[in-house]
Amino acid sequence: MSLRSQVAIVARLDFAEVRRSRWLLSCLFVHTLLAAAFVLVGLRESSVLGFTGMGRALMSLSHALIFLLPLLALVATAQVVNSARDDGSLELMLSNPVSRTGWFCGTSLVRLLALVVPLLVAMPLMAIVGSSCFHQRVPWEFLFRALVVGTSLLACFVATGLWISTFVRNQAKALMITVLVWAASVAFLDFGLVGLLLQWRLPPVAVFTLAATNPVQAARLALLASAQPELSTFGPVGFWLANRIGSTGLFLLGTCWPLLLGATAWLHALSRFRNRDLV
Amino acid sequence: MRVELHGVGKRFAKVDALVGIDLVLASGSRTALVGPNGSGKSTLVRLLMGMLTGNGSIRLDTLDPAAHRNELARRIAYVPQIAPRLWATVHDLVHAVADLRGIETRRIDAVAERFELDLRSIARRPFRALSGGMRQKVLAAMALATDADLLILDEPTASMDPQSRAAFYRVLDELPQCPTVLLCSHRLDEIRQHVDRVVVLSDGRMIWQGASCLYLAEHTESVVELRAYGERAVTWLTARGFVLGSTGWWQCAIAQDSRADLVAAAFRELGSDVVDVLARDLERNEVRAVAS
Repeated sequence: MSLRSQVAIVARLDFAEVRRSRWLLSCLFVHTLLAAAFVLVGLRESSVLGFTGMGRALMSLSHALIFLLPLLALVATAQVVNSARDDGSLELMLSNPVSRTGWFCGTSLVRLLALVVPLLVAMPLMAIVGSSCFHQRVPWEFLFRALVVGTSLLACFVATGLWISTFVRNQAKALMITVLVWAASVAFLDFGLVGLLLQWRLPPVAVFTLAATNPVQAARLALLASAQPELSTFGPVGFWLANRIGSTGLFLLGTCWPLLLGATAWLHALSRFRNRDLV
Repeated sequence: MRVELHGVGKRFAKVDALVGIDLVLASGSRTALVGPNGSGKSTLVRLLMGMLTGNGSIRLDTLDPAAHRNELARRIAYVPQIAPRLWATVHDLVHAVADLRGIETRRIDAVAERFELDLRSIARRPFRALSGGMRQKVLAAMALATDADLLILDEPTASMDPQSRAAFYRVLDELPQCPTVLLCSHRLDEIRQHVDRVVVLSDGRMIWQGASCLYLAEHTESVVELRAYGERAVTWLTARGFVLGSTGWWQCAIAQDSRADLVAAAFRELGSDVVDVLARDLERNEVRAVAS
C-alpha cells in the first residue's frame, strides 16, 4: 500500500477521533467567542495604530490570537504520541500494515487541520457578520495577512508540540514543558526582553537574537507590517527590522520563519519517531 | 510463519527486560507464553512485531521484524490484552483496519457474528463506549478475519464470557491458513486445550520450555474442594489435610495424579455424607495463595 493511502486511512481515523473528542468544536467555539467579543467591543470610531472600525477589531483579535494560537496548538499536540503510546492505540495501529511515517504524517495532518480550519472559518465569518451588522468595510487585505500569519504560527507550534510528544514519555511532564515553551514564546518578545536587558544587564545582541528568533515575535511583526513603524508599538527589534527590510520583508519573515522552524521540528520529530523504540 | 530468536535481549535504562532468549516456533505451532507480571512477555511480543529493537537475532521467516516491519505487519495479527479507549466509532475503526489490511469489512462482520456480536448495530458507537468484553470481541474479530501467518494473542479472552471464549477458539481452530500462534495466557484450560508448547518467562529470562502436557504436570497442582457433613467427615477430611473454608467447603491441594484416588476414597469412606465435589488445576503459586 502506498504511503499516500496509509496517510489517508490514518488521517480518516484520527479525524474521527478528533471530531468525536469535540476538539474541533472546542477550537471553533474559542475562536468564535473571541471574535464575537472583539467585534462587539471593538467596533468603535477610535483608532489603534491607524486602524479604525473593522480593521481595529481585526487588529486586536489577531494580536489576541497570536498569544492564544501557540497555546492551543501546543496543548493539542504535545501529548499525541505519548498518549497514543500509553493507551495502546499506537500499538494497535502499528500492528497493522501502516508505516511509522504513514502514522505520523496522517496524525500531524489532522492535528494541524483541526486547528487551522476553525481559524479560517471563524475570522472571515466574524468579519462578514461584523461588516453586515455594523455597516463597516471589511479590510480583506489585512484579513488575508492575519490568516496567513496565523496558519504559519499554528504550523510552527503544532510541529513543536509533536516534537515534544516524541521526546517526553510522561504526559504530565509534556504538559509542563508545553506551558514553559508557551511562556517563553510570549515572554521573549522584545518588550519583555528590554526589561531583562535593563534588569540583568544582558548583552543587547543576546536580547536582539532571542527576540528575532522567536516565531511569535516574527508573527506579531508580520501583522504590524502594514502599519507605520513606531518604536513604541514595534519595540526596538521590530522597529530596527521594519526600517531595514521594509513592510514586505517583515511579512515574509513573519510567515516563513515560523514555517521553517516548524518544518525543522517536525522533521526531527519524524526522524526520532521512525528510529526509536515505539512502546 | 517460522519464528526464530537467538540470544535476544532488551534493556530499558538500567533494567534488563529480556536476557538471552533462544526460542524457535515452528510454522503452524501453537505456543503459550506464560510468566508473572513484568516477566518480559510484552517486551518479547513487541520485539516480534518490530516495535522495539533489541540485541540478538530475531527472524520471522528469515526477515528481521525491526528492519522489515511494514512487510511483515501484513502477515501478523495482534490482539492486545487491553483495548485502547478510542473516541472513533466501531465503524471508523473496523473500516480503517480493513482498508489497511486490504480485506472486506464483511469478513470482520462474519467473525464478530461468531462471537454473537452484531457490528452493524454498534457501528455508530464510540469504541470507548463499548464494554470491555465487546471491545475485546471487536479486536479479536479484526485479527481473526485476516490471513495472518502469525497470530499474537495477549490474553485475548480475558474479558470475554465463556460462550464467546469458546467461540473464539473455535474460529481459531477453523482458520484455513493454520497460523503460528503465540498466546499469552494464564488460563490453564486454554493451555491444556489450545496450545502444544509452553514457554515460561521470569525476570526477563526463559526458565522453562516444553510440551504443554509436561508443563501442566510439572507446574500445576490440583485443588479438590468438597462439601460434606457429619462427625466422621470432619475427622476423615482433617486427617487428609483438608481445611474448612468460611462457606462450608473443605479444600485440599494435591498432586494432579493423586486427584482421582482422593476423590474416589472420599466417596468410598464418607458415602452419602459427601454433598458436592469440585476439582480444578491451578499453577503452583496460585495453589499457595489459595491455601494461605
